Amino acid sequence: MSVQNGVPPDSVKDRRKVAMVIGAGSVKCAAALGMWRVLRREGIEVDLYVGCSGGCLYAAVMSLDYTLEEAEQLTKRLWTREVTARKDLRSLLSMIVPRLVPFAGYFGLVNEEPLNAALRATFGERTFDECVAPLHMVATDLQNGERVVLSSGRIADAVRASVAMPYVWPPARVGDRWLLDGCMTDPLPVDVAIREGADVVLAMGFEAAYPRRIRSASRYAFQVNSIYTNNLLRANYGFHNLAHHDEILLILPDFDRPVGLFDTDRIPEVIKAGERATEAQLPYLERILATPITS
Amino acid sequence: MNIQIETSVQATVVRIMGSVDGMTADSLLQQLQAQIAQGSIQLVGDLSGVDYTSSAGLRTLLATVKETRRLGGDFRLAAVQPDVLKVLELSGFTSILRVFGDVDSAVASFGS
Repeated sequence: MSVQNGVPPDSVKDRRKVAMVIGAGSVKCAAALGMWRVLRREGIEVDLYVGCSGGCLYAAVMSLDYTLEEAEQLTKRLWTREVTARKDLRSLLSMIVPRLVPFAGYFGLVNEEPLNAALRATFGERTFDECVAPLHMVATDLQNGERVVLSSGRIADAVRASVAMPYVWPPARVGDRWLLDGCMTDPLPVDVAIREGADVVLAMGFEAAYPRRIRSASRYAFQVNSIYTNNLLRANYGFHNLAHHDEILLILPDFDRPVGLFDTDRIPEVIKAGERATEAQLPYLERILATPITS
Repeated sequence: MNIQIETSVQATVVRIMGSVDGMTADSLLQQLQAQIAQGSIQLVGDLSGVDYTSSAGLRTLLATVKETRRLGGDFRLAAVQPDVLKVLELSGFTSILRVFGDVDSAVASFGS
């Protein structure tokens, strides 16, 4: 390989850098474990992981090098109905009687403590420094609307911020910022992978399903979030496709029926769907990885 | 990937078969640009035989749409397979491309 413009030989790429990007999608994000299983079986190395919202959970367990079985068990324990079972009475009262219970500047219908406890039980004090491959998570700054990429500190804090769905959970305090769900700015953060130098981006994205009936305030909040997240996903993804210099492989798992927010009992089936979707792209992925980068 | 070209009074139909990806996108773009250079600016992409498209394929489709429209024509798609349509939808391309269920409808649209 020729070297130009004074670039030292050891910095010249001899293979494509592969990124796995897992978008927002709650339990559906477990399909990323299926993708991971296929890549490991085929000996395809992932150089960096990027996640948004529910996708952060899986990006984190993969970059921390858990086994597939451990990852499945951890996420089953974390993502349960109990996590959303307790309502946040203070938040609710601050909306109804703000003179009696002053508004705090934000609110969430669901009490955050069960989620915080579940994240602590899953990730403990583990930090980004312990990851075997670089990990990036996307959240949204409540004050200025900026996308925030979290790449250091405690993993539990970063996941908490990235899953802080507006109206459902309160924002998370990380450093000097209040952070909300990454799906508000970048539901499938392919651009983070591009910025970090990825050539081949394996992007697993999910559009939120729209339920037929909306039976509660929290479901209404989910519905409103889904509408703008789905539209944002399309707008961002179109731009990322045009902006990227190499390949983005969109991996879309197909589910027989809609996967609910807390259908953790369907995780094995979701993982299988991720495997199938990845296997369908495997011949092409192997061809592009085998092609010299200069061609 | 194979390409067959049929020219009629209303439009030139480019029948594409196989994958439109990083391995084939350049070749497809060259052939589409050759048609445009010959004055065929009303193009229909028959995608009934396309089973896969990646980001490189999307860039080729968009480049062709932009070039034909710049010259007063259009590049319209027909008979897009469900998996490819999903990618087009998720990337927002269906909001700017005209997509038809079959080739005849796409060709006829140039006369309307």
